[in-house]
Amino acid sequence: QFVPSDPPPVRRPHAYADQYESDEEKQFRKVFQQLAGDDMEVSPTELMNILNRIISKHQGLKTDGFSIESCRSMVAVMDSDSTGKLGFHEFKHLWNNIKKWQGVYKQYDADGSGMIGADELPNAFRAAGFPLNDQLFDMIIRRYSDESGNMDFDNYIGCLVRLDAMCRAFKTLDKDNNGTIKVNVQEWLQLTMYS
Amino acid sequence: MSGIASKLQHDREKAQGIGSNSHAVKYLGQDYEVLRRQCLESGRLFKDDTFEAGVSSLGFKELGPSSFKVRGVTWKRPTELSRNPQFILEDATRTDICQGALGDCWLLAAIASLTLNKQVLSRVVPSDQSFEQGYAGIFHFEFWQFGEWVDVVVDDRLPTRDGELLFVHSATGSEFWSALLEKAYAKLNGCYEALSGGTTTEGFEDFTGGIAEAHDLKQARPELFKIIKKALNRGSLLGCSIDITSSADSEAITSQKLVKGHAYSLTGADEVRTRGGSEKLIRIRNPWGQVEWTGAWSDRSSEWDSVSDEDRDRLKNASEDGEFWMSFSDWLHHYSRLEICNLTPDALSDDEVEKWSLSKFEGSWRKGSTAGGCRNFPNSFWQNPQFVIKLDEEDDDPDDNEVGCTFIVGLIQKNRRKMRKMGQDMHTIGFAIYEVPDEYVGRRQVHLNRDFFLRNASKARSETFINLREVSNRFCLPPGEYLVLPSTFEPNKNGDFAVRIFSEKHADFQELDDPVDCHVEEVHVDEDDVDDRFRNLFGQLAGHDCEISAFELQRILNKVVAKRSDIKTSGFSLATCRNMVNLLDKDGSGKLGLVEFKILWTKIQKYLDYYRERDADKTGCMSSAEMRMAVEDAGFSLNNPMHQVLVARYSDTNLSIDFDNFVCCLVRLESLFKTFKTLDKDDSETVELTLFEWLNVAML
Repeated sequence: QFVPSDPPPVRRPHAYADQYESDEEKQFRKVFQQLAGDDMEVSPTELMNILNRIISKHQGLKTDGFSIESCRSMVAVMDSDSTGKLGFHEFKHLWNNIKKWQGVYKQYDADGSGMIGADELPNAFRAAGFPLNDQLFDMIIRRYSDESGNMDFDNYIGCLVRLDAMCRAFKTLDKDNNGTIKVNVQEWLQLTMYS
Repeated sequence: MSGIASKLQHDREKAQGIGSNSHAVKYLGQDYEVLRRQCLESGRLFKDDTFEAGVSSLGFKELGPSSFKVRGVTWKRPTELSRNPQFILEDATRTDICQGALGDCWLLAAIASLTLNKQVLSRVVPSDQSFEQGYAGIFHFEFWQFGEWVDVVVDDRLPTRDGELLFVHSATGSEFWSALLEKAYAKLNGCYEALSGGTTTEGFEDFTGGIAEAHDLKQARPELFKIIKKALNRGSLLGCSIDITSSADSEAITSQKLVKGHAYSLTGADEVRTRGGSEKLIRIRNPWGQVEWTGAWSDRSSEWDSVSDEDRDRLKNASEDGEFWMSFSDWLHHYSRLEICNLTPDALSDDEVEKWSLSKFEGSWRKGSTAGGCRNFPNSFWQNPQFVIKLDEEDDDPDDNEVGCTFIVGLIQKNRRKMRKMGQDMHTIGFAIYEVPDEYVGRRQVHLNRDFFLRNASKARSETFINLREVSNRFCLPPGEYLVLPSTFEPNKNGDFAVRIFSEKHADFQELDDPVDCHVEEVHVDEDDVDDRFRNLFGQLAGHDCEISAFELQRILNKVVAKRSDIKTSGFSLATCRNMVNLLDKDGSGKLGLVEFKILWTKIQKYLDYYRERDADKTGCMSSAEMRMAVEDAGFSLNNPMHQVLVARYSDTNLSIDFDNFVCCLVRLESLFKTFKTLDKDDSETVELTLFEWLNVAML
């Protein structure tokens, strides 16, 4: 049986970074600390609670709330070390994107229905930075919209988070910028299963 | 931010040799040549935005912004400090390094040892730098960090007070390589204060990429003097120190002028003939560049009178430079610890130097999948990453009565996440070694399971489990294949590590893992096979279009599972139902017809069987370990990275998996294997995709 040895004294405190953040960053970190708890990481359930608390305060966004499955997927596509949780920087990135995309959503919901209809979708996605072809829009509507082809706010965010991450993943792997990526079966599965 | 792709890209770059010494990773993406050229073209001296010449680079507490110790500090370039600054004068020597107002003697002792090995030094301190030709206020250094070499750029603004360097400086005051090296290392660690207090071992490893081992001198091996001589011959770096029992003792000076709690470099070992016989001597250097031992064999001691002129001329050194001799027995008596850093073969080009053979692997421990903990946890221990080392050839050491193969195993934990999670402590880590039994010899595509470790006892293991950056031990075992299992002490601790093997003779070192493959049995259903009862049921569910959409499927499945008390589920999500439809929808209608639905129904029945069989404790939920076996039952063979992904994606925070997540996981796995096979038209085992092709499959 193994027995652990006595730990050596702690050295190299990391308090250093805390002291040199801007006030805005400090504020955000404080909020993050409250949301993420002691481990300073956000699990899918925590993410779901945070997002649902926020959208409940917003009017003009139609949604049935973020589902746990959609939050699992959002965490997965942004998590680079397979821990199943988001750290501070990843969460901040997600947060800024959500703020940005929410603006786009309201702007492109032309009929004020609180949802993005199939006809409003291409423009909204283009404004969010994703000019796709018709085939992809069709696929996205089939995957993320309801039976009548409308996309509510949680599906819209879930879809954009995934799209953004998948484009980023492509760029990361297309190191030589030749417009294609090559993956073997294991890389393929890691990329697609963890999404 | 690009998810798992960034890890894959890192692995790819690693495979291409990026991160090796000849191909170092550019720290923070800064390229020395590019930046220098830009500065020269614009006629400006380099200013490093990423490590400002200001208080934040000094420290956080003792050297923090409000500390009196940083008052009056100004940052100056060597050209403002010396009329004729030099990067390196002739050769870098040990006297170029004198400690400043920072407790980093351990680092300086390591740098001092470094100067003894020109080749190693030239890797850390690229020599094509100067204050004359091509000077642009920019310098660069290379360090080893957790398995890869990084190239760190700094500007040459150095912290000073009253015109003197605050930290490390050369004895002459006009040579600056050591001060700039210290600055680059401080940048890598966040700030100067982060360098305060440490072990020489860490410095040794970060400068050489070698493996360090520690020897307790109070229980010295009988052959220690021989080990020291052999280590010096192999170009190893050596350091020694005197332990302190309380912090008040730190840097206390004994009556014979030895400094306690202070890092010395060990620079030589020799034997001289004296009138009384022979005497083993050890040469040591104090990084302060002064304060030398005053006892026997010290610079001006009478013992030197008793040795031959030749020996005296060869060894004696009477200047006050911090370096001195003492007898091996006095040294053993006064000192407490010796640290030896063994160098990698690429650090040693000299043919006369005997070389170690090196192999290494990176790996990770993850909650619920590969963080199995130590032997005390037999249910999860086997889940740890496994490596195999094949020792073919015995050491050729004539005057050594140990027969076998000597190797050193070093397990180092990485700190990649230190900025992500402040103040995270080190894990308690160690490793175990098993002899590979005959039936597994030569096999690499297998991950040994729980039963193997219940039946077999370990052959050797790390001396301790401890929360240090690295655990390393020396072993001597008969030729054969051995399994090395690195682990944290307790299971379910997330961490990243690199494991390295240094062996006297060439040794084959590989990871053991299961292959990634899919053997799911196809379910064949003919329209005639469907009985009337099912046909009727389908008719009711499918409605007028005689097909079932993902929305309908979701309603059906949730109704069914809600009635069952033996399985836990939070209900099937629409995404899962879409995945099921995609997997079975042969005609591309986006909906399921009768036969397709029957196949799905049969599959779900099977999933339910696997689920209930593996849920041994009948909680209605599976643990991540049960899930691993159930996934195998279902016809998938997966390796460590895949198991990590499945747990991270589908398990709860308490590491349990409910029925809908289990089904979602199996359906996705099967679809993705199928998609890959479809895309891989020429069976090349890789697929090439454009961005739109990629999005088409990845967004599904």
